[in-house]
This record gives sequence, structure tokens and C-alpha cells, in this order.
Amino acid sequence: MSRSGKALTKYKIVFLGEQGVGKTSLITRFMYDTFDDHYQATIGIDFLSKTMYLDDKTIRLQLWDTAGQERFRSLIPSYIRDSRVAIVVYDITKKKSFEYIDKWIEDVKNERGDDNVILCIVGNKSDLSDERQVTIEEGENKAKILGADIFMETSTKAGYNVKNLFKKIAKSLPEFQNSDTNPLDTDGNGKNNKANESSGDKPGIIDISTNEEQEQAGGCQC
Amino acid sequence: MVATDFTSPLMRTTTGGNHHGFTSKFSIRSPSVPNLRQQLYSETNNYSAPAIEGIPNNKDAINDQRSNSEEYGGSLSVIDLYDDNDSESPQKKSTRSITGLEDFQKDVGELNSMSADHSNDDLRRSNSITIDINENEHTDRYGFKKQSTFISEADYNSWWNDYSKYCVRRKFKWKLLLEKGGLPVDNDSPTRFPSKSEKLKRYVRKGIPAEWRGDAWWYFARGQEKLNRHKGVYDTLLVKVNKITEQKDHDNVFTDLEIIERDLNRTFPDNIHFQKQSPQDEEPELIKSLRRVLVAFSLYNPKIGYCQSMNFIAGLLLLFLDEERAFWMLVIITSRYLPGVHDVNLEGVNIDQGVLMLCVKEYLPEIWSYIAPITNKKGASNNRRTTSSTSRKNRSLIIKNEFLYRLPPITLCTASWFMSCFIGILPIETTLRVWDCMFYEESHFLFKISLSILKLSENDLLRHKKHRHGGGILSYGIKGGNSSNTSLGSSNDAASEDGDMEIFQIIQTFPKKLLNPNDIFDKVIFKRKYSFNRLDQDEVDRCRKYVSSQRTKYKHYIDTVEKQEIRGIDKSTNHIGEKENILTSEMDEDTINEALSSEVYGFKRNLTGVHWNNSLKAKVRQMKKKIDREV
Repeated sequence: MSRSGKALTKYKIVFLGEQGVGKTSLITRFMYDTFDDHYQATIGIDFLSKTMYLDDKTIRLQLWDTAGQERFRSLIPSYIRDSRVAIVVYDITKKKSFEYIDKWIEDVKNERGDDNVILCIVGNKSDLSDERQVTIEEGENKAKILGADIFMETSTKAGYNVKNLFKKIAKSLPEFQNSDTNPLDTDGNGKNNKANESSGDKPGIIDISTNEEQEQAGGCQC
Repeated sequence: MVATDFTSPLMRTTTGGNHHGFTSKFSIRSPSVPNLRQQLYSETNNYSAPAIEGIPNNKDAINDQRSNSEEYGGSLSVIDLYDDNDSESPQKKSTRSITGLEDFQKDVGELNSMSADHSNDDLRRSNSITIDINENEHTDRYGFKKQSTFISEADYNSWWNDYSKYCVRRKFKWKLLLEKGGLPVDNDSPTRFPSKSEKLKRYVRKGIPAEWRGDAWWYFARGQEKLNRHKGVYDTLLVKVNKITEQKDHDNVFTDLEIIERDLNRTFPDNIHFQKQSPQDEEPELIKSLRRVLVAFSLYNPKIGYCQSMNFIAGLLLLFLDEERAFWMLVIITSRYLPGVHDVNLEGVNIDQGVLMLCVKEYLPEIWSYIAPITNKKGASNNRRTTSSTSRKNRSLIIKNEFLYRLPPITLCTASWFMSCFIGILPIETTLRVWDCMFYEESHFLFKISLSILKLSENDLLRHKKHRHGGGILSYGIKGGNSSNTSLGSSNDAASEDGDMEIFQIIQTFPKKLLNPNDIFDKVIFKRKYSFNRLDQDEVDRCRKYVSSQRTKYKHYIDTVEKQEIRGIDKSTNHIGEKENILTSEMDEDTINEALSSEVYGFKRNLTGVHWNNSLKAKVRQMKKKIDREV
């Protein structure tokens, strides 16, 4: 490889939460902008990666989708220890799934400590307002109490707020925090950006574009 | 229309099977089998058609049968593709249909109140009316969608074109084998199979005919023995299940039920037998059966209760066996083949993954180099804990087997291979071939197949590596469109971890593309040159024991080291590193040595079945076992 040898900056994002709250669905909506009524239950951990373009910068998101059942928690921690982002999902129509997020967040904090992780709490299935058991205020409050950086309600079915969520997350990443260096566009096509270097930020222009070429890398490797 | 459903020899098979005793009762309770078999039959008809048309000399016979049969469901299946079946006349079939119908009606007459909800009507509805030829073009003979993220329907069809012929050839051979052994193949439903032999093993490895699978699995797994020892147990459980499921606020009473409930519709959502045809429809029969089996199991074995992934195992069983037999097979799988794997603490998963890692290290050292934590190069480790450990004396002991306790990240991918017995990991036909062997050869086959998959993925791993220059073994950049971006190499800890994940992705994705089972079997399983083919059940049993004891020792050691604040050994690994540094210095070496005294596991390295390096004791033990087994 004759290039400068810099990799894209990669960020591990782990999805946690009770089973059936919509973790896989959230990822699928983000990755492929599709939705199914039923996804196969996730066993163990699924891994997907996605390159994201934002502000002329490219980052690589590594998404870890986890099984929701309680007993799988014992398997997960060692692998999430370096996640920069933890997305804890609950189902707004299931109070229980909301109550359980404390446990997941405790896990995350045990691993990363309070400050090293961008913590997101996501109330999914907002399209099912008739069956709502958790109000948006309750969600916001809990997010505050637990010290979450981002709180949002989403509907993966309606495609509501999913992109926003990832935009917000991206904004919180160090890659987009330092505005003291020049905007970076190393080879003109926006595909190669230096990693691990603080990159320029164009305030206000936050545009997550999903690159088609990259998409397949997430789903299909070879 | 309904009546013609019973013209299916498969239908006949199922109801005919009732004469063999126990099944009659259960097949009433569980409509799943007739249901599937009916489907299976008519679908095979549709799907195999293109394949068949490729065989000129069969074509006429097929067309004949087509025109003679009243419904599309009446003619072909893989079974009918045999030459010796070509002569089978429609009359013969209609005779069967009558008998089948009679049996069926008799069965229906015996319906008791408990099973009344899945009556004749349901059966018929799900069997026939909902079959839509057009829709079925997109599903395979078991009702699964042909297309997946990794396999296109065109790829599927072109593979199936060949593979269906292979299935026909194999079934023909099976028939000969059974007939030679004097075993009846009546109604295309053999319930007895030859005794174990190298030949039979080869036959099983080449695939049990799909229509016989349920009975063959049941036979090889000695399901009947189990059932005979527990007669009536499932009935009793069902009474309890009914009580529980009827309770309105069951959430508080029985949490497993709630968890099961949430997974029911997430079990094979792309299989037509598990789908509602329209939102207004009643729940499919198979979903009801699945609920009963899973809830009954959680009552039967509270130590396991319900563990995600069992829904897939039970679901697949229900496609091939009636409900009660599916239940007992689930019991057998979770105890005999996957001991402890679904337990609440999932320790069985960890043990099996430890065993798998030992095997990879032993048999696939090239691949081990990709996934092993590097311990001998400072800074090159993908595992900080290990690095910090290396710097300390006595660490060599820990490191030797540390991976059995702190399993390499890749095991989180391979763990699901075991938990779901490859369902959803391998394409369905390949999965079924693995199941055939699992029931015949026992659990060591799961390790063999895992090693085979890893072996086959080696090229992908290598190709991946080639794209990266230099760097540590684990330091891979990004795969895909960004191959021009390289990682920093071994000096970069983060890059190493990334490499780990890219490998994770290769290994996660690779098996999903193994559409053709024979790719694994012919290229690896049947090849003597692969040393892991020497792996046998005895070895795996020993290995499991070893890993289990190592893990216990290690846990004990860690507990001693961190008796204070560290809450969980699996947690907070960075902290552990620090604590180790402080605390181990206070422990005397003996404690450490004893805790981790690692007799390193020794694999048998010689001819299959001969244990030169085993002690006499072990030999005697084995012989005893063998005798016990025979008795």
C-alpha cells in the first residue's frame, strides 16, 4: 500500500436493550433504509460496518448488534469495553423494556466509566402511539438522571428520527469536535480522510450521506 | 381440493405412521408434521420441476403424472423422481389417499378437548388453500425464502437444479441400502434404520433424504428410548402450559413465557409455515406448536428455561417431527449434544468455545494466528490485558491457557454457531446436512463442521491479509470499497482491534454463503488430509472436561486475586489488569501455579481410534463406555 497508511477512524457502536425492542431493526433502517415487521431474533452478536460521510469527513462505524435476553449479558461486556458509543434501546409500548435500561447502562458504565462513552437512550416504536406505555417526558427524565448524552424517540417502521440519531451521534464524536484544523478532503473525492487526526468541522453543514459503494461492505464481505 | 391433499404419499406417510404405535396420539396433537409434509410434497413438486425437466428421460413420466393427478400437489416430489417410482400409477396413489384419509379421519375422531384447537380444519387450511404456486416459487421445499442477503434466488435455483438431482440419487441409494438390510421403506416412511457402520456414516454424511429426516433423526438420537422413559410427561406438561398461557397477567407469573412470546414471531419470519398469510389470519399452527414446545420445555427444565436460539432449534424440529417428538428432541439436543449451552449462565457456550479454540490452535494453526491473542510481542497484542500480563513473571502459565477463560473475540461469532446448531448461520440445506451428522455422530461433528468452515474461510482471510501490507497479523484495515486505506499496523493497538473485527466480519459472513452443502463435505469433511477429521466424540468429551476445569481454576484464581471491589470477572477487564499487578505480587507462586497448573491439553496425534498416548486407565474407561453403549 503506497498510501499514507492512515486508516479511517473507526468507532464501535454497541446496541443494547431488551429483546424485541428493535435493535436489529434500527440498524437495518440505518444501513439499508428498509423495514420488516419481523426480524429473526439475534443470537449472540452481529457485526456490521458502515462508512459514514459527514462534513467532508469519512468515518467508519462498526455496529454491534446484541442479543437482548438477559442471560446473554454475561457474554457481551468484554466486547463492548471499547465502544465509543452505546445505544440503549427500549420499546415505548413496553414499560418493562424501559425499566431495564438501567441495567444496560450500568453495564456500559462499568466497562467504560462515565466519561468515555457516548451514551444514547432511544425509545423505539414511536409509531405505535396508541399502545404507548412510556411518555416522552419519562424518557427524557430518565436520560437526564442516567447521564445520557443523547435521548431520542424513533420509529424504525416509519423511518422517523433514525438518521437524526446517527447524525447526533456523529456530531458527538471527537472527529467532528475539533474545529481548529483545516477541513479535510485529501483526494478530492471525499473517500479518503486521514484518521486519528483532528479534522476540520464545517459548522452547520451536517450531512450524513450513505455511500452506496460502502454499503455492501457492511453486509457482504467477499 | 381438500380431499386431494391426502393423495400425497407423504401425507399417507404421516398418518400411516400412526399405526406404529405412539405416534398416532401425537400426530393428532401436533399437526405440524402432516402440515409440513403436505407442503413439502406439493412444493417439491413445484420447485423440482425445472430440475426435472433437465432430465430428458424423466420428462415424460413427469408429464404423465402431472396430467393424471387432479391437483398439482398430487404428482412429483423428489421421491417420485426415482426410476422405480415412475411406474407408480395414479391408482396406487388414490388407494393410498383413501387409506390416508381414513386414518386421518380416525385420528380426528380421537381428538380430545385439549387438542381440539388444532383440528382438521386448521390442518386443511394451512395445508392446501394457502398454497400459492406463485409465492412458492420464491420459497424452497421447506417453505424458507430462497433468497437471502448473501444468496440470490437465481443462484439458488441454479444450485438447486443440480442439487435436487443429487438428492434423487442419494435417496435411491438409501432405498437400496434399507432394502438390502431388510428394513421396510413402506409408504416412503422408514422408521427403522440400519445399525451404525462406516458405510451408514458415509450415507448420513451425504445427506438423509429430506422426507425421512424426522424419523431418521429420531432414530439416531434414540428419541424413542427417551420418550418411553417419559411416557405421558409431555401431556402433563401441556396441561400446565395451557393453564399458564390462559392466565391473563402471565407476565408476572412466568417471565419465560413473555420472552418466548416475543420470539415466536421472530422465529423464521421468512418461512411460510411460520407466517400469517394475512394479518387477519389466525396464528399459524406451527407458531402454536412452537409456543407449546418452548413453554413446556421451560417447565420441564427450569435450569435452562428458555434461551434465545432454542426457538430456532424447536422451530426446525417442528418442520420435521410432530410436536411431542420435537419436544423430546429439543430435550436431547440441549442435554446430550449441547450440554450447558443454553443454561442461564451460558457456561456451556464458553466451554464449547474454549474447546473450539483449542481445536483451532491444534488443527488450524494458520487460522489460530489470525484469531489468537498475541502474547509474545509487546504492543502487538490485540488484548491489553494479556499484554499487561506478559510483563509479569508466572504469566506464561496464565497465558498458556488464558484464552480458554478470556475467549478470543471471534468466539462471540462462533458461539451462535453452536447455540442455534447452525440454523441461520448456514443456508438451510447445509444446516440440515449438519443436523443429519450431528444426530448420527454426536456433538463432535459440530466442532468438525466449525473447523471446516474456518478452514474454507482461510482464503478469504488470506485475501484480506494480502490487501494489507506488513502490519501485525491482526492489523487489517477496512475491507470493501476502502481497501486503499490501510491500518497503521501492529504498533497501533486500535488498528489491531479493528483488524479483529474485520476478521469477525469475514467469519460471520462466510458460512452464510455456503449454499451447497457438498462444498463443505466434499472439500473438507471427506478429505483425510485434514487432521481435524480425526476428531472424535471421545476427544471432544475429554476436551470439554479439560476446558471446564481450566475455566473453573482460572475463575477461582481471578476471584482470589480480585476478591475486593471487582464485581464481575467478565467485566471491567482493564481494571483486572491493574488489580492483577497489585495483588498477584502478594500471592505466593504456589497458589498461582496450583490455580493455573496447566497440564496442557494433549490431542491424540495418531491413527484414528488408537490412543497411544493415553494411559491404560483411559483405555479401560473407553472400553467400558463402549460396552455400556452396546448393552
